[in-house]
Amino acid sequence: MTVPAASALSERVSASGVEPSPPVGRRDLNTKKLARLGWAFSAPAMLVVGAVTIFPIVFSVVLSLSHVAITGNGFVLGGFTLGNYRALLNSGRWRYDLGFTFGYTVVTVLVELIIGTAFALVLERLQAARGMMMALLLIPWSMITVISAELWSYIYNGTYGVLNAIVAPFVSHPIVFLGTPVSAIIAMMVADIWKTTPFVTIIVLAGLVMLPDDLYEAAEVDGASGWSTFWKVTFPLLRPTLALAVLFRVLQAFGLFDLPYVLTSGAPGHATESLALLGYEVMFSYFQFGPGAAIAASTALIVLVVCLAFLKVFRSQIGSEA
Amino acid sequence: MMAVLAGSRKRVSALLAVGAMSMTLAACGSGAPSTNSPGTSSSPGTPPGNATSGTVTWGSAPIARSNLRSTLISAFEKAYPHIKVNLVTLPTSANAQQSALTTQISGGSGPDVYTGDVTWAAQFAKATLAEPLSSYLGSSYFSSFAPGLIKGATYNSKVYGAPFFTDEGLLYYRKDLLAQNHLPVPSTWQQLVSESKTLQSAHLVKYGYVWQGASYEGLTCDWVEFMADAGGTLTNSAATKSTIDSKASLKALTFMRSLITSGVSPAAVSTYQEPQSLAVFDGGQAAFMRFWPEGYAPAVSALGASKVGVAPMPTFAGQSAPGYSVVGGQNLYLNPHAKNMAASITFIKWLTGSQAQTMMATKYAMVPSNAAVRSSKAVTSSSPVLAAIAKTKLISRPSYTPNYTRASQAIYSNVNSALSGATSPKAALSAAQSQMNTALSGSGI
Repeated sequence: MTVPAASALSERVSASGVEPSPPVGRRDLNTKKLARLGWAFSAPAMLVVGAVTIFPIVFSVVLSLSHVAITGNGFVLGGFTLGNYRALLNSGRWRYDLGFTFGYTVVTVLVELIIGTAFALVLERLQAARGMMMALLLIPWSMITVISAELWSYIYNGTYGVLNAIVAPFVSHPIVFLGTPVSAIIAMMVADIWKTTPFVTIIVLAGLVMLPDDLYEAAEVDGASGWSTFWKVTFPLLRPTLALAVLFRVLQAFGLFDLPYVLTSGAPGHATESLALLGYEVMFSYFQFGPGAAIAASTALIVLVVCLAFLKVFRSQIGSEA
Repeated sequence: MMAVLAGSRKRVSALLAVGAMSMTLAACGSGAPSTNSPGTSSSPGTPPGNATSGTVTWGSAPIARSNLRSTLISAFEKAYPHIKVNLVTLPTSANAQQSALTTQISGGSGPDVYTGDVTWAAQFAKATLAEPLSSYLGSSYFSSFAPGLIKGATYNSKVYGAPFFTDEGLLYYRKDLLAQNHLPVPSTWQQLVSESKTLQSAHLVKYGYVWQGASYEGLTCDWVEFMADAGGTLTNSAATKSTIDSKASLKALTFMRSLITSGVSPAAVSTYQEPQSLAVFDGGQAAFMRFWPEGYAPAVSALGASKVGVAPMPTFAGQSAPGYSVVGGQNLYLNPHAKNMAASITFIKWLTGSQAQTMMATKYAMVPSNAAVRSSKAVTSSSPVLAAIAKTKLISRPSYTPNYTRASQAIYSNVNSALSGATSPKAALSAAQSQMNTALSGSGI
C-alpha cells in the first residue's frame, strides 16, 4: 500500500511542479527519496503488524509442526513432527467439523446472497425512507454476536422460548429447537442469516447504484421484461460485486466461533461444532497446543485455498470491472 | 472496492491478513520463559504457612453470588494484619477461567493463589501450572479434610490442591406437594417417576424431574450418579481404560432417555445447564430437581421455605439407598510463580481452617471441606442442606488422570446425543467408550 501511495504523491508533486518537464535523473531521485520517506513513515505500523500478525502466524505454524508441551514457564517445543496433522486426519470429530463448517458456510452464504440481493434491489427502487430502512436493516449487523446469540437462545428456548409460545397452538409439546442435530443446525443458520444478510445488502446496494442507467434505458427500449432485465443486465454487471460479497462472507463464515459458542456449545453431540470451536477446546481445555495449532493452521490454509480458487473463477469479471 | 481485488499481490496479502485472524488464537498462550524458580522468594527461616507479612494476589470467580470473597479477605487481614490480599476476579465460566489461567501462568504471571475446579488438579499438575502443596505442608494438614477430597487433588503422589468447598448432587423436592398427596420423599428412581406422574396428572406441576442434560461438564456429573446407581463404572482404577460401555450403563442411559420420552422430564432437559433447571423448579413447574447445595437459597426465596425440601439422591430399586452424589467444588491452587510462597500458603491454610470454613458454612450455606467443621453441630444444624449433606453417598470423577477433561467431553457429548434421540443409548455408549480410550491414552484429538 505504501509504495503506490508514495508514487501517487510523487506524480502529484511533479504534475504541479513549476518545470513542465523535469530532467529524468532528478525525477528518479525525487521518487526514490519519497519512497524512502514512505517506508520510514510506515515502518512503525509495519512493526506492529509484524508483531501481532506475522509473528503469531509463523509461531502457530511452528507449534503445529512440533511436539508441544505446556509448562508453567511457557511452551516447550520438542522437535519436528507431522503427528499433529496426522491426528486431525485420523479424527472423526475433525472430519465432521470440517464438513459441518464447509456445509454451513455454503448454505448461509448462498441464502444471504439471495436475500441480500433481493433486499438491495428493493432498497434501490425505494424513493422515500431509504435511509430509515437502511438504518433498520443495519441493526442486526451492528449487534455484537454474543448478545444476538443470547437473544436467539431465548427465542429458541425449549421451555419458555418465544418461538415455542408462537407455535404453541399448533403443537402438543414444546419443540426443543436446539436439542436435535438438524433443528439445531437450521436454528443456528437462521440466526446467522438474520445477522449477516444486511452486510450483503449494503455491498450489493453499493454495486447497484454504480450501474450505468443507459443500459437499462436500452433494455426498456428493446422491451425487455423486469425478469429478463435482471438476468441479462443487472446480474452480469453485478457479478464482481457479488464475488466480493461472497469472498468477505466465506472468510468470515469459515471462522465461525461466537455463535455456536454461545448458542449451542457445539451440541447436541458435536452436531454444531465448527473448526474454530474445536480448535479452542483442544487448545484451552485439553492443553493440546500442537494439534490445536494444526487445526488453526489447516483451517486458515483451507479457507485461503478456497478463496483463491474462487477468485480465479471470477477473475475475468473482476478484472474488467477494475 | 474493486481495487482491493485488482492486484494479485495485494489480494494475497489481504487474504493472509484475514487468515491470520483465525490463527492468532494459536499463539495466545505464548510467553517468555520465566526464570523464577519456586520457593526462592519466601524468606528463609519462616516456615511456610506461618508467614506474618507480605502481599498475596487471590484469583477467584465470584462465589455463591455473594460478597463471600471480600468477607473472607477482611477476616484474614484482621488475623494477619501485615499480610495484604488483593482480589482478582476470574471469569465465571470454568472454560474461560482455564484459558485465562493457562495463558497467564505459562507466561510467568497470574494470581499467587487461585480458585479452580476440583477436576483440574491432575491436568494443571502435569502442565506444571500448579505448585505441589505437599512440598510445603505436612500430612497432618491434608488429613484435616473430608475423606476422598485429597485423593482427587493428588497427582503422582503429590497434593496440588487444597479443597476449599465442596459441591454435591442433591435431590430438591416440593415439600408441600408431597405432603398434600401423602407421598414420601422418593428413595428410588422408580418411585420418583411414579410420584412425578401422579403430580403431573393432577396438574399440580408441568414436569416431574429437572436436571442437567446439556452437553457440558454438568452432564458428566449427572451421568456418573445415574451410572453408579445402576452399578456401572467409568474407567478402570488406574483411569487408563474406559469401562463405560456396560450393561449397567445401558440401564442408566435408557432410563435417562425414558425420563424424557415419558414426559417426566421436559424434552428440553437435553439443553439444560444449572440456570435452566433452577428456573423451571423455582417457577413452580417441576416437582423434583437435581441440583448443587447453592440452589437452596434461590429456591427458598422463589417458593418459600415451607415448599422446598432437600434430600440425598435416590437410587435404582434393589440398590441400597441413598443413591450416589457426585463430588464437585473448588480447590485452592498455588501458582509456581507466586511472589511470596510463605504468605500465599498461610492464606491457603487459613481459608481451609476452622474460622473461614465455619463462616462459609453458617453464613453462606457452603459445604465445608474441613472435616471437623463439616460435622460440627453448629454447621449441621444451620441449614437443611448441610443436614442432607451429612447423609449423602459420594462418588468422584476420575480427575486424577491429566486427560480427564477430554475423557469427560467424550462422555457428555455422547450421552447428550442419546438424550436428544439422535443416537441410540447403545451406540452412544460404544462411541463414548472408544473416544474415552483415545482420550485416556493421551493421543489423537
